[in-house]
Amino acid sequence: MKTIQTIAIIGASGNMGAAISKSLAKGNYRLLLCANDLDKVQAVAEEIQSNQPAASVEAVDCSVDASWEADIIIAAVPHDAEREVAQKIKEVANQKIVISIANPLNDSYDGLVTAPYTSAAEELQKLLPNAKVIKAFNTTFAADFATPVIDGKQADAFVAGNDEEALQTVSELVSTAGFNPIVAGDLSVSGTLERMQLLLIQLNMKYDYNWLAGWKILHQ
Amino acid sequence: MYELFFQKFNEKVPLTLEEQEQIKTYLTPKKLRKRQYLLQDGDVCKSIAFVEKGALRAYTVDENMNEHIIQFAIEGWTISDLFSYLTAEPATYTIDALEDAELVLITRAAHDELLKTQPKYETYIRLLITGAYIALQRRLTSNISLPAEERYTRFTETYPDIAQRVPQHMIASYMGLTPETLSRVRKKMAERR
Repeated sequence: MKTIQTIAIIGASGNMGAAISKSLAKGNYRLLLCANDLDKVQAVAEEIQSNQPAASVEAVDCSVDASWEADIIIAAVPHDAEREVAQKIKEVANQKIVISIANPLNDSYDGLVTAPYTSAAEELQKLLPNAKVIKAFNTTFAADFATPVIDGKQADAFVAGNDEEALQTVSELVSTAGFNPIVAGDLSVSGTLERMQLLLIQLNMKYDYNWLAGWKILHQ
Repeated sequence: MYELFFQKFNEKVPLTLEEQEQIKTYLTPKKLRKRQYLLQDGDVCKSIAFVEKGALRAYTVDENMNEHIIQFAIEGWTISDLFSYLTAEPATYTIDALEDAELVLITRAAHDELLKTQPKYETYIRLLITGAYIALQRRLTSNISLPAEERYTRFTETYPDIAQRVPQHMIASYMGLTPETLSRVRKKMAERR
């Protein structure tokens, strides 16, 4: 697509938000970075601009304005902040793609706070009934964005959602970030994807992968 | 965000509050800054854009890289590459913002769904497209048969305040005149007044 799409990244100063912003700056996108601390997000924008002069990136102090301008919104915030973000952007996110990256981990990292029959993504969809919520970037660690090819193998990144066109658009984002996109299914698959990352986090701590690890489906 | 959209809608087809809320769930609010593209030629046009605020233009670029403006859209107007929108073929128009703009977009998927579920939307769209067709006929007739002066008068009637908002060379492009010819026409008209 020639027409530049605008992506609002809410929580762009966080580990994941900054990693996503840096990797998407390589693509034909205009990035609007926002977070509660404008100075921090300004620093991320400046770092991207100095490393990639051709990138179109801007720090914006209001997530509502950024989401209003955006075609795609990435909620790069922890699960417990998703409700507040949803309340703010609800009106301007109408019919737009909203990417849920959150894993609803408990404080001790040994379980999820969501009920077994639901997921962070499905809860976000309930809060934003007219948006197209897509689960993505939740099975990749922040460090993977700088090194999407680990031990010679390109990490897979799973995408789940209910809207075909939105899944296609988000798969393109995943490719731009350097991962191999796999559409896993509709939004109800999100719970599995969130639990997969819980397992990867536990394995990372147990075997000391240094937060550089990912999933790869082996197939013929 | 949708005030003017529903004002215009209600002028054509009155809606109950409930119907308005139902239609609203299918609309995409979108801000565009000056000089940003809504659509570039070669891409499929995915939305009809209603202008709540600001000004946009649709144009084609010929092989000598000259721009030819097909349409302007200011508050209350809609703009799109209808051919591409309805056929999903690549667009031949490019649409960009001449001023910072607030738009209400109707995507093709939303359009199809609304046609199925909301009969008043179908009426509204029919009236909208009929109006656009008439405007196109008038523009075509005027372009091939009227002298430049009268064409300019028609233009200022169609777009009352756009002459103040848009550079003269764009108006000339819209009318199929060189900027010099348009300048002569305007001078002649001013002298007569």
